[in-house]
Amino acid sequence: MRRLLHAILLGLLGAGIVHIVVLLLVPEFSERDAWSRLAMASDLYRMTRLDAEAGGTPVVKSVDPLFYAAACRFDLSEGMVRVKAPGNVPFWSVSVYDRSGHNIYSFNDHSATGRVLDSIVLTPAQMIEIRKELPEELQGAIFVEAPVDEGMFVIRSFVPDDSWKPVVSRFLEQSSCELQVY
Amino acid sequence: MLKNAFLTLLALAIAIGGGGGSVWYALKTQDGIGAIRIGPWTAFPAIGTRAADPYSKARVAREGILALGQAEGLSFIAERDSGGEQLKRQCAYEIEGGFPAARFWTLYAADQSLGVVETGKPRLAALQSYQVLRQPDNSVVISVSNRPAPGNWLLSDGFGRMYFVLTFYDTPIASSTGLSDITLPQILKVGCNA
Repeated sequence: MRRLLHAILLGLLGAGIVHIVVLLLVPEFSERDAWSRLAMASDLYRMTRLDAEAGGTPVVKSVDPLFYAAACRFDLSEGMVRVKAPGNVPFWSVSVYDRSGHNIYSFNDHSATGRVLDSIVLTPAQMIEIRKELPEELQGAIFVEAPVDEGMFVIRSFVPDDSWKPVVSRFLEQSSCELQVY
Repeated sequence: MLKNAFLTLLALAIAIGGGGGSVWYALKTQDGIGAIRIGPWTAFPAIGTRAADPYSKARVAREGILALGQAEGLSFIAERDSGGEQLKRQCAYEIEGGFPAARFWTLYAADQSLGVVETGKPRLAALQSYQVLRQPDNSVVISVSNRPAPGNWLLSDGFGRMYFVLTFYDTPIASSTGLSDITLPQILKVGCNA
């Protein structure tokens, strides 16, 4: 009887350890995280719609039904990435995530020049390089310094009612996500 | 000898089963560490940031969440009404009260996976602040039911559990200092079609 109790206590102690280990390993080994889902849907530097409107099941969860969203994956070790989207929509916001889905930086249309989405994601080292001689065409862009290699760029845009659907769809479809090397 | 082997196996089974199961359970429940409660509403301001706790991080990885950034907005989820009962799709509710400052907000009825409920009707089970009618004191009254209602009507239909998701966009409350003294609307149960 004593030994049974001993075994159960040992088991509970082990359960505590396993709990902590599993919890810390879930982010490392998850194959269902946002990055993996996006990787299944499309390539690097390709804008992909996240909402269900574009057909099929939504790629990533937690998208507001009154929003359309698009995302692209990038790898900063290859160079900077520039994201642009033309057009005028009621509201857009942007988030940059790292490989494991942590939000690094976010901004919305009020912080952009003329409410136009034109942004560059780069590492601090690339920032120092580009500061030496800022190319003319990048004057109005929003610079996002991200201390990561791989990451995701997500654009969300508000669809106030059905009449805005084509406009917002076009806004996201015409968005570009390009590798830039200077 | 056989007894020793049995005891070892038992200890291992409790350790692995209990450890794995408790993580699964902890990640499945809606509320958890890092939550901020205001009335029936719960928000996770730190979810999806690097400062988040290990449970939030695991949930983000497991469910593929891309959480809203601070400059984007903040989501509140209600699982129960103001009386403390679970929200049900077959019940009618009234959501009333003032809303904190934001450029705009959206409200939708969600199922267990927090996607918008499928009602099988062309009307989406969602509302946004530009289309709502307001009371003279700027508060909002929203009727949630499967029958059309005058004023602001949020369609909900079907059976089973329901959640309300209220998201404020471009709002000062997303910065943590603003969260202490805001008030959110109440959720009052009107009746149920049993």
